[in-house]
Amino acid sequence: MTDQLPDAVNAPCWSPRIGTLVAHEPNCGLRDNQKDNRHVSHKADYDAENRFELFLLDDGQSKVEWKEETRKSSLYEHLPKPPLTNPTPSGVPNTAVFTFNKEDHTLGNLLSQRLLKYDYIVFSAYKVPHPLFATFDLRVSTDGSITPKDAIIKCCRDIVGDLEMLKSSFQTEWLGKKIVSEGEAERMAREQNNF
Amino acid sequence: MDYDPEGGAINVRFLQADNQRANFIVQNFNLETANSLRRVMLAEIPTLAIDVVEVLDNTSVLADEFVCHRLGLIPLISKGVEDLLYSRECDCDGYCDNCAVVLTLNAKCTGSEIMKVYARDLVIESGQRSSDELGRPVITDSEGTGSCIVKLRRGQAIHMRCIAKKGIAKEHAKWAPSAAIGFEYDPANKLHHLDYWYEENADEEWPKDQERINLDGGPGNPDEPFNYDAVPTRFFYDVETVGGLDPDQIVTIGIETLQKKLARIMGELQGSGGGDGMDLGGAQSPTMNGAGYGGADGGYTTPGYGGASQWGGAGDAAQGGTTPYGATPYGQSW
Repeated sequence: MTDQLPDAVNAPCWSPRIGTLVAHEPNCGLRDNQKDNRHVSHKADYDAENRFELFLLDDGQSKVEWKEETRKSSLYEHLPKPPLTNPTPSGVPNTAVFTFNKEDHTLGNLLSQRLLKYDYIVFSAYKVPHPLFATFDLRVSTDGSITPKDAIIKCCRDIVGDLEMLKSSFQTEWLGKKIVSEGEAERMAREQNNF
Repeated sequence: MDYDPEGGAINVRFLQADNQRANFIVQNFNLETANSLRRVMLAEIPTLAIDVVEVLDNTSVLADEFVCHRLGLIPLISKGVEDLLYSRECDCDGYCDNCAVVLTLNAKCTGSEIMKVYARDLVIESGQRSSDELGRPVITDSEGTGSCIVKLRRGQAIHMRCIAKKGIAKEHAKWAPSAAIGFEYDPANKLHHLDYWYEENADEEWPKDQERINLDGGPGNPDEPFNYDAVPTRFFYDVETVGGLDPDQIVTIGIETLQKKLARIMGELQGSGGGDGMDLGGAQSPTMNGAGYGGADGGYTTPGYGGASQWGGAGDAAQGGTTPYGATPYGQSW
C-alpha cells in the first residue's frame, strides 16, 4: 500500500508499530499527537479492509462502460445468413456489452430480466466475471428498432416509474393501516382499563 | 402493465403495520424488481453506527477492540441521516459535525456491586444539532437500558469517545436498517419454483401456510395442466426494523435508493454520446416535483423525509439542498 517508508515510523510514539498502523491504515482510527500517540483509537470493527471498494468507484472509473459486440462465432460459416441477429463479419449487429462497475446482482438481475419483457429485445443476460470484484457485464441484443443503449435507458425509466407507483401505494396503505392498528390498540387499552 | 398477464396496477396491501414491522403484500409486481428492492433494503440504506472509538480509559476485563466492536453493533436512531454527509465525502479532517455524531461513554464502578454499563449510558457530545434524536441509542426494552456493553467491578472504569458515522450495510452489517426481511411468493408452489425433498409424499410431509396460500388465490388445482408461462405477481414482504428507522422509512428509502441507482445509470448512459432524443421526464410522477434525474454527475434530489436532501450535484444548490444546519457544504464543493 505504501511505497516509501511510512513517516509514522519516525513519529514520536511509544510504539512505532501502532504509529504506522494508525497513520497508514484507512480502516484504523486516529491518534492523539498531544498525548504521545498513546491514545490510539480503534476502528469499531477491523476484520476486513476496504470493503467500501464494493460500492465506491475507483479514481477515474466510470459507472457504465460499453462497447459493440465484435466477437464472432467460430461457427459463423455455418450459421444462416439473413437474420439480423446472426454474426456478420464485423461482429453481431445491434448488440452491445455493458460493464457496470461497483454494482451487483441487485441491478444486474433487475435489468437483464426486465429487458427480456420488451418485444424488441432479442437477447439479454448478465454475468459477474468474478465474485470478488464488484462488477457485472450485461449483454443486450435488439431487433434493430432501438439501440441497446436506448433500450436500457427506457428500461430504467420504466422501472423507476413502477417503483414510483409502488411507493405512493405503499405510503397511502401504510398510513391507513397505521391509523387502524393504533385505534385498535387504543380501544384495547381502554377496555382493559375498564376492568 | 404490459408484463402482467392479469392486468391491474401495482398496489400494496398491509397485513400488519406498527413501530416494529411492516408486513405487506405487493400485487401486480414482478420478481426481479421485488427482489432488487429486498436486496436494497438489506444492504444499501444509509444509517448511522459507531465507526471509530477513541479509547481514553479502559480498565474493564474486556480488551479495547472487544469493547469497540460491541459499541459498533449498537443500533442508533438514524432518523435524519440524510442530512449527514458520508465522512469520506466531507471536507473535514477525520470527522466533524456535518459527517459524524460523537457519543461518550464514561463509567466507573465505585460500589462493591458489579456495575453494568448499558447502551443508554452513551451520551451525545456534539451540540447544536437540531434533531437531538439522531445518534441516540435505540432503546426498546421495558427497562429502558438497551443492550449491556460491559460489566465493571469495583475500581474499574471505562471512558470512550465514539464517533458514529453514516454508512451502508454493504460495508458492514452494523449499518443494516432491518433486523430481518421476510420475502416470499407463491406459497402454494403453484409455479414449481421449488422442488420439495420428500420421504414418500411431499404434499403430506411439508407444512403448509394455509393463511398465505389463501391470500395468494388458494391452492393449485391438481387436475389443471401446468402453466409454463405463469410468473409470480404477488410478493409477501415482512420488514422488521432494528429500531434506527421506522419500517415504512426503510421501505420508502429503499425504493428511493433503487430509483437513484437506476437514475444514475440513465444519466451515465445518456452522457456517453448519442441517444439525445430520450427525454427523462417520462419517468416522473407528479409527486416527484421536478426532481432532476441527474446528468453524469449524478445530481439527484429526493422528495420526502423532512427537507429535501441533495448530494452529488455540482453547484445546483438552488434545488433546495438546505439542511437545518444552514452552512453545510451540500452541492457546493468537493
